[in-house]
Amino acid sequence: MLIQVDRLFHTYAPGTPLACTALQGVSVEIGAGERVGILGPTGSGKSTLVQHLAGLLEPTDGRVWLDGVAAHERSAAARTRRRRVGLAFQYPEDQIFERTVFREVAFGPRNLGLEEAEIAARVHWALGMVGLEPAAMAERVPFTLSGGEMRRVALASIVSLRPEVLILDEPTAGLDPRGRKDLLARVLAWQEETSATLILVSHNLEELSRVVERAIVLTEGRVVADGPVRQVLNDGESLRSIGLDVPQPVALLQALRQAGWEVRTDRLLAEEAVDEITQAWALRMGMGRQEASA
Amino acid sequence: MTAFIEIQGLEHAYPLADGGQIVALRGVDLTVERGEFVALVGPNGSGKSTLARHLNGLLMPTAGQVWVDGLLTSDPHNLWAVRQRVGMVFQNPENQLVASTVEEDVAFGPENLALPRREIRRRVDEALDAVGITEYRTHPPQMLSGGQKQLVAVAGALATRPTCIVFDEPTSMLDPLGRRQILATIRRLNAEESITVLLITQSMDEAASVGRVVAMHEGHIAMDGPPGDIFEQGKRLRSLGLDLPATVEIAHRLRDRGLPLPGGVLTAEALVSTLC
Repeated sequence: MLIQVDRLFHTYAPGTPLACTALQGVSVEIGAGERVGILGPTGSGKSTLVQHLAGLLEPTDGRVWLDGVAAHERSAAARTRRRRVGLAFQYPEDQIFERTVFREVAFGPRNLGLEEAEIAARVHWALGMVGLEPAAMAERVPFTLSGGEMRRVALASIVSLRPEVLILDEPTAGLDPRGRKDLLARVLAWQEETSATLILVSHNLEELSRVVERAIVLTEGRVVADGPVRQVLNDGESLRSIGLDVPQPVALLQALRQAGWEVRTDRLLAEEAVDEITQAWALRMGMGRQEASA
Repeated sequence: MTAFIEIQGLEHAYPLADGGQIVALRGVDLTVERGEFVALVGPNGSGKSTLARHLNGLLMPTAGQVWVDGLLTSDPHNLWAVRQRVGMVFQNPENQLVASTVEEDVAFGPENLALPRREIRRRVDEALDAVGITEYRTHPPQMLSGGQKQLVAVAGALATRPTCIVFDEPTSMLDPLGRRQILATIRRLNAEESITVLLITQSMDEAASVGRVVAMHEGHIAMDGPPGDIFEQGKRLRSLGLDLPATVEIAHRLRDRGLPLPGGVLTAEALVSTLC
């Protein structure tokens, strides 16, 4: 599904003293099957934007088009398109309400009017996709689960809708390092298998580097950068100026460069930085030896 | 009993509705001296938050003892004295704010201590100043950013004049700027106001920046030492479901490739100055 955001404005509580403009003319296009990261400081409009992508808010001005239909419309065409977008809010486990894990994950598919057998098949598949053992989990009471398990159940209840566009707002916040890696690996495998569109809102630059191909940076309701993730996350000065961090490998390479090392700085991952530094080191050692022999 | 916090053989089990129980702590021994800055790390479900809640008597031991400043937490007579010494700041600032302006919110703690009005005023002013949010004193907390809200929660804890503050993942809901603000504030409170700090965190980078790291695993303390020692043990950490800070990970891999790096390199600055 093609997503087109066209000069989107959003003002909360318009016409009151508390009026607050969250989006000030955002235009972006996201094609089917893209993996896109959205980053920006608190209050930059990330969460407002993703809610618009899911058709949950009405634009103050501008439009969000899902395959050519305005996302927020009340028409049947808009409704079927909205159903193809799955949005997991931050801390989605706060919204768990059913008595058992099975009922929680089945809630969405049941609302789609699916047959009971299909519902059961989808629940089974969705639990497996997020790394939970369906047989062991189905009859558990959600509130006796650990935080990490609850997060997975909440995500399963969204992927059970088989969305074509999956939007995850800080999906790994509060998870431990192993849980984070495992969950993202599963989401990535699912995306590669289904060619769905994946939109990831995150402050974690390492995660973004590993998962998305394209990064969009928001500040004060505007898009200030949009491009290949490698390029966007390598622009240390711009990131720091809006209060964001630079990926640690990049920060390290930049510091070495300042110290006179000939290293490329657009290496976002630890293993890439290691290769880059090892090469530069070998070169320096070689040069040192030449100088010594000269 | 000289240490500020002294925990011996602490066990904790949560009862379940069906009569069973979940054992969260399985015999924890821990000593924290006055003025220490300790990072408590561990995978989800390892017992960190349960342990934290024992430090100011929010939970009572199933077995074992906890002393705070020489006071046994399981003695009901000590409860107020213990809570006055140990403040808590939780993950989600939204759940901790109770009043309609920042200064009223910060005053909530001292008001409950039934202090004279002038003393409350003084403590609120000092707490706002200590975390750097005096300019927002009359703002409604809900109009502040996540990081600022968390600073209000820190000021609220500070206004009761605790000896120790336990921070339970205070930065996990914040953006990088909010994170830096909170961490800088916590560091200053520890260095300048001599507040004993227990920081629960999932960020190995945060843990690498403090004086002592305690790693929990399945209700036990699995590792305890200075970050330079703890983060040398990458294999052990991974077996606990934890990780190395990115910079340390890079340092280890460079050493494996033959670069002359000593152990205990924790920061990019240290790495660069060692290599250059």
